[in-house]
Amino acid sequence: MGRAYLGEFEELVLLAVAVLQGDAYGVVIAAELKQRTNRISSLSGVHIALYRLEEKGFVSSELGGATMNRGGHRKRLFTVTATGRQTLNEMRIVHNDLWDSIPTPSLA
Amino acid sequence: MANHTPTPPAWADRLLAWLCPPHLLEELLGDLHEQFAEQVTDLGEQKARQLYVVEIVKFIRPYFLKRRVGHFAQPMSIPVSQGAHRFKTNEFPQPFFLHPDMLRNYAKIAFRTLWRSKGYATINVVGLAVAFCISLFLFLIAYLQLTFDSFHEDGDRIFQTYFFSNDPEQASRSAGMPLPLMPALKTDYPEIEAAARFIVVRKSLVEYKGRYFDKSVYLTDPDFFKLFSFPLRKGNPESALRDLSNVVISENMAQTLFGIEDPMGKPVELGSDGNRKQYIVSGVLADAPYNSTIHYDALIRVENLPDYQSAKDSWGASSHQVFVKLPPNIDQTTFESRLKAFAVKYFHGSLDDLKKKGAKPDERGDVFAVRLQKLADVHFGRELSGGKGAPIALIYVLMGIAFFILLIACINFINLSVARSFTRAKEVGIRKSLGALKKQLFVQIWGESTVICLIGFGVGLLLSYLLLPVFNATFDSKLTLDYVAQPGFIGLMLLVFALITFVAGGYPAWQMAKFNPVEVLKGKISLKRPGILRNSLIVTQFTLSCLLTCCTIIALQQIDFLRQQPLGFQKEQVISIPVGSQVNGRQVLQRLRNKLASDPTVLAITGSGVNLGKGKDRVTARGVLGITYKGKDIATDWLLVDYDYLKTLNIKLLAGRDFDRAYPTDSVNRVVITESMARMMGEANAVGTLLRDDHDTSGVKSQIIGIISDFHLYSLADENKPITMHLSHNEAIHYVFVRVAPQNLANSMDKLKNVWKEVAPQSEFMGSFLDENVDAWYQDEEMLSRVFSLAASIAILLSCIGLFAIALMVIEQRTKEIGIRKVLGASTPTIILVLSKDFIKLVIIALGIAIPLAWYGMHTWLKGYPFRIEISAWVFVVVALAAILITFATVSFHSIKAALMNPVKSLRSE
Repeated sequence: MGRAYLGEFEELVLLAVAVLQGDAYGVVIAAELKQRTNRISSLSGVHIALYRLEEKGFVSSELGGATMNRGGHRKRLFTVTATGRQTLNEMRIVHNDLWDSIPTPSLA
Repeated sequence: MANHTPTPPAWADRLLAWLCPPHLLEELLGDLHEQFAEQVTDLGEQKARQLYVVEIVKFIRPYFLKRRVGHFAQPMSIPVSQGAHRFKTNEFPQPFFLHPDMLRNYAKIAFRTLWRSKGYATINVVGLAVAFCISLFLFLIAYLQLTFDSFHEDGDRIFQTYFFSNDPEQASRSAGMPLPLMPALKTDYPEIEAAARFIVVRKSLVEYKGRYFDKSVYLTDPDFFKLFSFPLRKGNPESALRDLSNVVISENMAQTLFGIEDPMGKPVELGSDGNRKQYIVSGVLADAPYNSTIHYDALIRVENLPDYQSAKDSWGASSHQVFVKLPPNIDQTTFESRLKAFAVKYFHGSLDDLKKKGAKPDERGDVFAVRLQKLADVHFGRELSGGKGAPIALIYVLMGIAFFILLIACINFINLSVARSFTRAKEVGIRKSLGALKKQLFVQIWGESTVICLIGFGVGLLLSYLLLPVFNATFDSKLTLDYVAQPGFIGLMLLVFALITFVAGGYPAWQMAKFNPVEVLKGKISLKRPGILRNSLIVTQFTLSCLLTCCTIIALQQIDFLRQQPLGFQKEQVISIPVGSQVNGRQVLQRLRNKLASDPTVLAITGSGVNLGKGKDRVTARGVLGITYKGKDIATDWLLVDYDYLKTLNIKLLAGRDFDRAYPTDSVNRVVITESMARMMGEANAVGTLLRDDHDTSGVKSQIIGIISDFHLYSLADENKPITMHLSHNEAIHYVFVRVAPQNLANSMDKLKNVWKEVAPQSEFMGSFLDENVDAWYQDEEMLSRVFSLAASIAILLSCIGLFAIALMVIEQRTKEIGIRKVLGASTPTIILVLSKDFIKLVIIALGIAIPLAWYGMHTWLKGYPFRIEISAWVFVVVALAAILITFATVSFHSIKAALMNPVKSLRSE
């Protein structure tokens, strides 16, 4: 396959970035993942995934505003790039294809 | 509670900052803090803190660590191909604050800033350089003294033996050992690794191929080479002193005697007149380094001592030092306790005597004991070496002065930096508002100080290199910068340097880095803030300077007092000539008398066993006789003189008569004593009485024929003993005194020199006037006072430089105030007073501290002198007035300029 490899956790993070629509940064992504998958992901893990995605060109980032509860530190906001979106689409097609190919003898 | 905002633990943040690549730190910290804030609301503060730490620990992952390490390896390289677009944002990566590029930048800026403020930099560099230079010299002196004898391997196992006797009158120690002691020690204690006797003799005559030299020949045992680590350049340490006729010479002596010839196996003649013997050179020993207690030209066996056969079994006479080397597994205390048995075995006589006198055992249970002194202490043991050792207190005083001077320079440095920090506050404020971190500013400013220190240090070293010959000449010392290269000394210097840069450079830098940029840019940082620190530092500076000045003046007064004291003899117009070992003093004296008998400019000639003052041969000798006279213990100087002694030295005869050639018995058993001797004996009319010892039943008794007034045979720094003078037929005369007519003294000296060549051709003429000799008595004090004077003037100079610069800055900052005062009608003197007042107040406080300290210190020092001055109050008054005057002069230099300035100029800028 010609496209870049995307790990399971990376895929989830990428999806979360897509879901959050321009308001995606570390804590929010971790919260989103926790809420949706019910698994606790550490901030460091999330960030590593994000940076990898950025290096692969699936997300882009810019620095956003600082708030009081961030101790005056700015946040880095991530958005899905066109490549990222395309990859997600391809992944989805692959998944769907696979699902569709499962024989269902007991299908009611 | 309402106001309390929970914050995550700061140390965890710092840990993260350390772990995490710097360019990612901000966003990660932000996320962590945000999560923390949420967790505080959900789970409570304590739990949130725990989770926060756990979260941070999870950052220890290869991903982050690798990028962090990579960040150092390639500071500015960012992967362009893939990650480049993320830096399209307006964010710059934050480099680590000690990044090499930044360091280069700090250095560059430091040099530019210093170049811009040349005056400030010069004052600092000059101050530091002078202080470094002087303290280098003083530390060097101290270092040399403190490392005396430290070059011996196993130096910690080498000891000198000494006797301790707990006499009820005064416990005493003595290092003079009897000849049989060392062999007995070696037999009784086979564990001793090496032991050697060491007899320090007068300069001895050496003859090689008809040429004569005066050399220090030392008598010792073959173990010498096992004991000490003077390297043997030629010859075998095992056999070098095997034969009684072996002589081991120093490289220096080999050079003078043999030049380029090989000295090994060559015969030389050694010994004083009538006692000469041929020796064969069996080894060449390296010259003893300057910081060695033992300085030899040649070594021969102890058995060559003229009266060795008769003295070798005599336990009563004490003549020499004994050094032993203990094996590594026995320490000093253990061995000293083993020596108790030794003392009982060989010294029961002394023990019984002491007990009879009522001596009690000391805290170690000893009445009489043989004890050990560490080799390292030998140089400082004044008691054991008969007062010849270096006073260790003086060395600490020197180090203290060096430290004081450095401290004063540091205070200048701190004060100037702090004062300047206000002019630089704007720069700091702007840098901060542009995003410089506190630590970056610290490193930058501290870097500037370090550059100044480095330059100052370099200039100081250069200065000391250039001034070393001058210093050596002035202080009669033999310092070389070779010692500077020794690891111990380098360590010391590095420590001093590090301390100065850290303290003197670090503190102002830290202060400046702390400035709040908002306040600075609003102009809110006021002048009064560093007041207490600055003022106390100025006070310290002036306290030290005034202390040194007072001490110097008092020390100089004391030396002057010692010089001015009537000595009891007339020191003017008397030439003293050391006879030397090449010739017979008695014969020379006779020949001299014959030659000069008809010379009208020669008033009197005499001879003596002891020089007065310190002559050119620098030898001092003292013979003290202790007797018990009618139940009284009397210690008297036992002085060998010749006819005309009283006449030559103008000593007053009080009763009886002087020695006279008309009475043949005068040269056998007649003595002349001083007043104080007569007083000690308790005889109202001593003339005619017999001087005898209660215990001595045999021997010839001396009859007292005359009483003279007291005179000082030795320096006034030493205690004066009563003097008993005697004549002799055979005792060696070591010095000739000639009284010359007062007209044209230099001529008389030249004439005497020529005559000397005829009467004693082998002996170098080393004549000198007695008043010079007497001055030489006080050379230690002289040296001390010179060091003090130098230190005091440097201290004052440095303090004034500092004050000068601070006054300049303070006045610069107060220009507006001065302008306003002038506009409102203040006169020029008022303004000068206003400006100087603050500084003069500080100096008065400093005086208040320094004067009592100086009084106490000098009072203690003076107590050591039997003849001493009273400290007079005018010294302090003069110093105080001078200090105030100097301060006023220093400060008013700027104040006058400021006061005369046109107020229009200073006020217009607003």
